[in-house]
Amino acid sequence: MKNLNNNSASPATGRRYWRSLDELADTPEFKDWLHREFPVGASEMVEDGTSRRHFLKIMSASFAFAGIATLGAGCRRPVANLEPFGQQPENYTFGDAQYFATAMPTRTGAIPLVVKSYEGRAVKIEGNALYPGSNGSTDRYAQASILDLYDVDRARHFKHDGQVVSREAALGFLADLSQKFAANQGEGLAFLAESSTSPSRARLQKIIAEKFPKSQWFTYDAIDSGIHQRAATQVFGQPVKPIFHFDQAKVIVSLDCDFLGGEDDAHNHIRKFAAGRKAGEGMSRLYAVESLFTLTGASADHRLRVVASLIGQIAQAISLEVFGLTLPQAKSTPVTVPAGVDEKWVSECAKDLVANHGNALVVAGQRQPLEVHLLAYAINSALGAIGNTVTLIPAQETVPADLKNASVSDTLVILGGNPAYNSQLPMLHAQTQASPTIVRLGYYEDETTSTTWKSQWLFPATHFLESWGDATTSDGTTVPVQPLTQPLFGGLTELELLAHLAGESQTNPYDIVRTTLGGSDAAWKMSLFSGFVEGSAPKPAILPVDQFIVTPKLAKVSTPTKDSLEVIFFRDAKVDDGRYSNNGWMQELPDPITKMTWDNAVLISRKTARELGVANGDIVEISLNGKTVSGPIWTQPGMADYSLGLALGYGREKAGRVGTGVGFNAYKIFSGKYIETGATIKKTGETYTLACTQHHWSMEGRPAVREANLEEFLKEPKFAQENFHGVEPPVVQSLYPNPLDEAKQTALHQWGMTVDLNACVGCGTCVVACQSENNIPIVGKDQVLRGREMHWMRIDRYFTTDPKQKDDKSIFNPTADANQTDANQQFAEWIDDVQAVNQPMLCQMCEAAPCESVCPVNATVHDQEGLNVMAYNRCIGTRYCSNNCPYKVRRFNFLDFNKRPLTELKGTMYSTTLTHKTDGEWDLLRWWKDPNSGMRSEDEWDLIKLSKNPDVTVRMRGVMEKCTYCTQRIEHAKISQKAKAGASDNVRLSEAAGTVPKTACQQACPAGAITFGDVSDPDSSVSKLKLLPQNYAVLADLLTKPRTTYLARIRNPNPAMPDYHEPFSTEEYDHASLTPKGSS
Amino acid sequence: MIFPKWTNSLPLVLLLGAALAGGGVAAGVTIYLTPKYTRAGYQPVQPVPFSHKIHAGQLGVDCRYCHNGVEKSWFSNLPGASTCMNCHNQVLKDDPRLAIVRDSAANNTPIPWVQVHLVPDYVYFNHSVHVTRGISCVECHGRVDQMDEVRHVKSFSMSFCLNCHRDPAAHIRPPDKVTSLGWQWSTNAAEAESLQDVNGKKFVHDWKVESLQSCSACHR
Repeated sequence: MKNLNNNSASPATGRRYWRSLDELADTPEFKDWLHREFPVGASEMVEDGTSRRHFLKIMSASFAFAGIATLGAGCRRPVANLEPFGQQPENYTFGDAQYFATAMPTRTGAIPLVVKSYEGRAVKIEGNALYPGSNGSTDRYAQASILDLYDVDRARHFKHDGQVVSREAALGFLADLSQKFAANQGEGLAFLAESSTSPSRARLQKIIAEKFPKSQWFTYDAIDSGIHQRAATQVFGQPVKPIFHFDQAKVIVSLDCDFLGGEDDAHNHIRKFAAGRKAGEGMSRLYAVESLFTLTGASADHRLRVVASLIGQIAQAISLEVFGLTLPQAKSTPVTVPAGVDEKWVSECAKDLVANHGNALVVAGQRQPLEVHLLAYAINSALGAIGNTVTLIPAQETVPADLKNASVSDTLVILGGNPAYNSQLPMLHAQTQASPTIVRLGYYEDETTSTTWKSQWLFPATHFLESWGDATTSDGTTVPVQPLTQPLFGGLTELELLAHLAGESQTNPYDIVRTTLGGSDAAWKMSLFSGFVEGSAPKPAILPVDQFIVTPKLAKVSTPTKDSLEVIFFRDAKVDDGRYSNNGWMQELPDPITKMTWDNAVLISRKTARELGVANGDIVEISLNGKTVSGPIWTQPGMADYSLGLALGYGREKAGRVGTGVGFNAYKIFSGKYIETGATIKKTGETYTLACTQHHWSMEGRPAVREANLEEFLKEPKFAQENFHGVEPPVVQSLYPNPLDEAKQTALHQWGMTVDLNACVGCGTCVVACQSENNIPIVGKDQVLRGREMHWMRIDRYFTTDPKQKDDKSIFNPTADANQTDANQQFAEWIDDVQAVNQPMLCQMCEAAPCESVCPVNATVHDQEGLNVMAYNRCIGTRYCSNNCPYKVRRFNFLDFNKRPLTELKGTMYSTTLTHKTDGEWDLLRWWKDPNSGMRSEDEWDLIKLSKNPDVTVRMRGVMEKCTYCTQRIEHAKISQKAKAGASDNVRLSEAAGTVPKTACQQACPAGAITFGDVSDPDSSVSKLKLLPQNYAVLADLLTKPRTTYLARIRNPNPAMPDYHEPFSTEEYDHASLTPKGSS
Repeated sequence: MIFPKWTNSLPLVLLLGAALAGGGVAAGVTIYLTPKYTRAGYQPVQPVPFSHKIHAGQLGVDCRYCHNGVEKSWFSNLPGASTCMNCHNQVLKDDPRLAIVRDSAANNTPIPWVQVHLVPDYVYFNHSVHVTRGISCVECHGRVDQMDEVRHVKSFSMSFCLNCHRDPAAHIRPPDKVTSLGWQWSTNAAEAESLQDVNGKKFVHDWKVESLQSCSACHR
């Protein structure tokens, strides 16, 4: 018995998973984090020394006064009015949610959506499950986009040179322009637009090209996702774009392709990938070759860490190996691999690909140059993948614009985007006498809205939830974009502006879309109902497949070194290319890999950091091609050496109240190439604090995540259960009967959940969906640093390393020493090759909940259906429950986060205290006159409250909250069923009848990793999943009896590979003697 | 002697005084600061002198003719003025008391009715599930069919809700009698009570009516 003293499942020696370098190193700072429930100062209201005690003194005096005041005012509630319609609309019931199908356009496709609306305001975005192949999921951008609709910083007015003008005047200007350019055939007119899949825009573009033949049209995206189509078009000689079938592939090789994270259409890829990864015989295998640690790398069975510039060489080596194995006529070319890469890795990977001929798939990443894509097609062609795991559909040909050499003499029409911030168009950066008039359709008054320009017209753009439009999804299906509301600020859609400019008679966007899509009225209505045009997806192109065995000449690349570093510019997982900068949900979402909020950083490998003498938080200046930018260092496990990762989209100067000044602007050194070599970095001597949620809510090294290789799983399916690598069964049984056991006898349902760790890739969509559904506020960087983030659901990302690699000198670092001390471990090279596991962590709904027994006011109790419920009005904020929760899933409203002004998100709250005198007046007096001073201004609140879900209480300061299993959805489903049942006993929800609700996270999850349902119904999916052998409960030995259980993760590495091993974590369990000393 | 003799009784007097004062405060709070006092009896003046007594009582218009969302939504809607005009374009069609209603129906401007019954924002009361499962309007709203101006008669406190939730059998009735506010099992009070007891228990059993007392039933 190893653990008698603490009765815990954690084996007696060693921390098994670590989430940050500090944790592994067991620094005093980290220990402090662990042992304090909340970080230092979390209980202090203010930063400048006014203590909590002092604050209470002031407040109690104020409340006494307030109490006296109410005696005079009386206790009657204020008069409230109910204002019904004058003319009752048909088919409308107040209080009932309405759902409309629409779609969110993306760069190369669209996400079909169903949006929930209350009283004419959109409140929640879901995926459209009717759409063929969809499971009703979305990506995190779609979930967060609803907040943009209610963004207080949106452009609200038509403006000319900074002056507000009327809509009529602005449209009149467009009509004048139209006449002028009709006369001169569009001489001097140019359009700058983001890529779009809208058939209506394509139609209007054609009309404009006919009407103004001399006009120019530039399509520009800061993050270019079009290379997949361009490569396919070049290979096949006709405009086609690829669809990758990750569900049908048995072996997948990713060449720097973050198809589960940063690439367009990732949610579809995740869905298909998860479908092919069902634990058991026949699950797919993923090889990843990459430099950044991405979500794809985290899901990979084999990950090769190599600088991005050399991935072309790896691709070439794989192609030569594959050709050698598949083509008898192929000359045997000597295969060379870059230095430091195991040749066997490449050859075994190629063998595995060939062994799965017809079911193999090689994908190249969008930041890789065209040659790598051509190589991938050559390999795919040799593997018989084309037509099987990758199909090609006809597409519209697109050419990215060469902006650096563009010139416009008269008028530049900018449709959306933010080119002054993220493009190299010279005329937007240097104003001259010859600069054109700028006509700008923009969602914000941002960097591209400069008042110093010669002449500028600003047209406020509409959100996709308030405009008619259309789009084409990644598989080519036409989807209508249907508005949920009238434009809140009377903006224009892209289609409207183009139609006005073209001098079309039809300028109403609805009519434009209706004309484009054509068809009968019945078919049109059907497409609005179902959200897509039935049968509009094109058939895959029939293409000759055997002629592409060519090996393109690779451009000569220099291997990055310490003095000539490689820089990778990538699409940020949160703000994209900067378009979500002003979206608080996105800013506060922890990055899936770094777990960083409210910032970007210079990602660097540990070895490179050591050689350059930099550490986390050091601000460095990066020079590339004569341009410089400064940002803080973040050592990222799994990064390739001599490679820097810079997320684009930060450092905005005019983003709005949320996004301005967050992070640093990597576009400053970006020239359009996503991988560049030749950078140097210089320490500035300054340091910067990064708000990383990595330390928060630690599991203290307990075996929360359990995993095994496929062979072990097939041999011992119950591996994850009680005897998992030293985990011992509970030693005591409960002394008292649980009242829930009695309530269970009569209750209609018992709710439970499973989370499939094998399917989860850690994308974070569930976290944003939960935030949107449950009115979870954002708290700001300063509060995140204090550990006060409010997400009900988090994704724990654990890194693991192989202790044996310290001994095995052949694989990684020959100098690694098994007997290192903690202090120098963080500089050991072997740590760079890590495995990652993701674990969504939310309230476990323990049947014997530790939080309940310590609540002094019964604010958290069980209901008869097994939910651990929170009564906010009873909560007095002792925080005992959070202290006693072993899963650390409870969140406390330290401040009135919902009422906090957006401008205060980046600083500390109450940066001036009530006892200060500002503007010649005591703040206490100001507070007395208006207690809301310092709170959100009315205009902010009026707009932001529209985004709140009316079914969920908006919590205020001093209240504990946590995941409720979306109790509002459960109650809504139960009430609907009971109202339908009437005088009958048909009141039980059943999965077969489709009446069991989905939780917000479950519905949003692209992988389908989360299953919720009635565990008392043996036929429900959740009951069946709980019977699977790999089902286990986290910390089950504490006898908490969680209702949320996890399905263990199964890895599928190739036994022939040189880096084949048991999951690092389990090896660590078995090699307890190798664990660092000093851990407990 | 430092303390005079009367100080011997001081502790007792103080204790008694404190008990009296405490009891007085407690009684004051229970009487004057609970919903029974603060809410019940509220009868605001409405912009239109609409009489439920005439419409629902004398004319026998069903509640659901006007409050037609009550079986579908959590909210029992107020009718649009166009609903009033269904009859009042014939009846009393030039009555000055109805000027606001005619104006509302013609111009689609809302009538600012004063809200009488209100549960706090943190309570998620749902009309549809109550009325479709045999809980009559009268249980919460009283004999509205006998009121000229609607008056708040029940306390709407949490204990008021719980009283019924603890024993739904005592209040449940056939769903088709839900809007007949004066309906009883029998005109004989004693017989009505025993029939309610028998049938109530039967309904609760047959329809699987739950006695919901968990927080999640009303608070989300």
